[in-house]
Amino acid sequence: MRDLQPSLNQTQRVRLQSALRQLHSLPSSSSSSPLSSVAVADPIQVNHDDNILKGHGTLDCDGEVVATLCGVVERVNKLVYVRALRARYKPEVGDIIVGRVIEIAPKRWRLEINFSQVAVLMLSSMNLPDGIQRRRTAVDELNMRSIFEENDVICAEVRGFQHDGSLHLQARSQKYGKLERGQLLTVPAYLVKRRKQHFHHLEQYGVDLIIGCNGFIWVGEHVEAGENVGMLVEDQKKTSTAEEESWSFTPLETRKHICRIANAVRLLSALGFTLTVEAIVDTAEASLASNIEINDMLGAEFFVQTAEREVQRRASMVRKKG
Amino acid sequence: MVGLSEGEKHFIRGGIAQDLRSDGRKRLQFRSISVETGVIPQANGSARVRLGATDVIASIKAELGKPSILRPDKGKVSIFVDCSPTAAPMFEGRGGEELSNDLSVALQRCLLGGTSGAGAGIDLSSLIIVDGKVCWDLYIDGLVISSDGNLLDALAAAIKVALSNTGIPKVSVLGASSDEQPDVDVSDEEFLQFDTSGVPVIVTLTKVGRHYIVDATSEEESQMSSAISVSVNRRGQICGLTKRGGAGLDPSVVLDMISVANSVSQQLITVLDSEIAAAEASEE
Repeated sequence: MRDLQPSLNQTQRVRLQSALRQLHSLPSSSSSSPLSSVAVADPIQVNHDDNILKGHGTLDCDGEVVATLCGVVERVNKLVYVRALRARYKPEVGDIIVGRVIEIAPKRWRLEINFSQVAVLMLSSMNLPDGIQRRRTAVDELNMRSIFEENDVICAEVRGFQHDGSLHLQARSQKYGKLERGQLLTVPAYLVKRRKQHFHHLEQYGVDLIIGCNGFIWVGEHVEAGENVGMLVEDQKKTSTAEEESWSFTPLETRKHICRIANAVRLLSALGFTLTVEAIVDTAEASLASNIEINDMLGAEFFVQTAEREVQRRASMVRKKG
Repeated sequence: MVGLSEGEKHFIRGGIAQDLRSDGRKRLQFRSISVETGVIPQANGSARVRLGATDVIASIKAELGKPSILRPDKGKVSIFVDCSPTAAPMFEGRGGEELSNDLSVALQRCLLGGTSGAGAGIDLSSLIIVDGKVCWDLYIDGLVISSDGNLLDALAAAIKVALSNTGIPKVSVLGASSDEQPDVDVSDEEFLQFDTSGVPVIVTLTKVGRHYIVDATSEEESQMSSAISVSVNRRGQICGLTKRGGAGLDPSVVLDMISVANSVSQQLITVLDSEIAAAEASEE
């Protein structure tokens, strides 16, 4: 996501600063572990008797472990490392990701998923459109473009790393596959936490929201799983004139909801808040409740209001706990 | 450039047809503009303009020079644009050259008037010091830092803001002999402000399908059939016109687009004026 920087006036700036200060003073929701965010050259507290292993982003300096990256200190048994924020996405097995096809190679598609290398989706690790389980033949291989083309946005699951270090994906279910009729947003990957559910059908809006673990977020018109394979492309080939194309456009009402949700995602990522479906829907609801035009959601006033609402939410959570 | 799938392209086209674009804007709505002045201390005037994710810097450098023989009573202005590789990987090396040239030529056409210098948005005769001997050469440099469509409008706005931020040193002529180069004294303290009321803004109308939009993002620009850039000054006069894109346009459509651009430009000028005032207030 390219940075959104609304031009605030004097009072809005003061309000935003006070809201951000309060957010700093409030403990965040996952504050069970001691505060462990470090900047470059910050010392990391370790118990030297434990024989720790220094991992990525750490350095031994005069008997003290210091950080060489800005990020969060992670501890796995003896290993201590720093997970950098604002870095590329680091896949874990089972993550649901959204990616864009950049190349079709023999028996595989290569996908851009904001990882340090391209991900590979093998023809054999995805369901065929007819749904029959069988060996993939040379004919299937020749027809790969009828499944996914270059630049298509698709949704898949991380299957694992191969021996040579390349990342493999799989799409063995009806819910994975090509995404159409909507827009793709990119946010920093650290704003998305892995949860049980990444596919959301927001029924009140008729919108599908897929929050990919790699920070690619899809907001689009709702489609029933498995019904849309290649439908749109065939439609378009038939309808050549602009007159006929206009019938297949997303209905205006749904489009309004898509844009509102998308702007909620843009706003939350600009503020640096974790993107959960609850936060996104809350923000969209709040904008509806205070009668804010879709475009003005990216303006200064709603930007500040969203920050203040987050302060209230976290403060009430602390009160409940206390 | 931007890779978009068929589904996304279809979604963008549908949004433009239904007057609700991907970020919730209407067809004739600009993204939010933010303006910063005095960003380059060495220059006589500079400005940074952000239009959504498009980010450009313009700087004005004034140097003493000799007017051309053909036009002894006018100063000289040249415009150069550079696309930084930070904006997009394809601008690396010589990759951005073609786009840079296109942008410079379009800006020259829209801001500097005809080859005789008549009709220029910048008053060239105010740059003269001694007729036929000494004049100011203005070098206007634009730098594209981040590119998300509508570069021409952003650059024109940045140049307009930078010119209003420009101070030209006051010059007093010492020896006024008739045949040789006169001696001049450039003051370090006194600066003259430019009259920027005549400097036009550029509004680009991008035609997608049967409709046209202002301030297209790079995704929307990838769907355009043609685009017309109209430069309009404060009084609503058309100062220049350039067209991009392969598809032809019907003359009646062109006239319609010009009148739309004209009305949109007046809103843009008002917004820019208030932003300039705010930027100058925050600088002091």
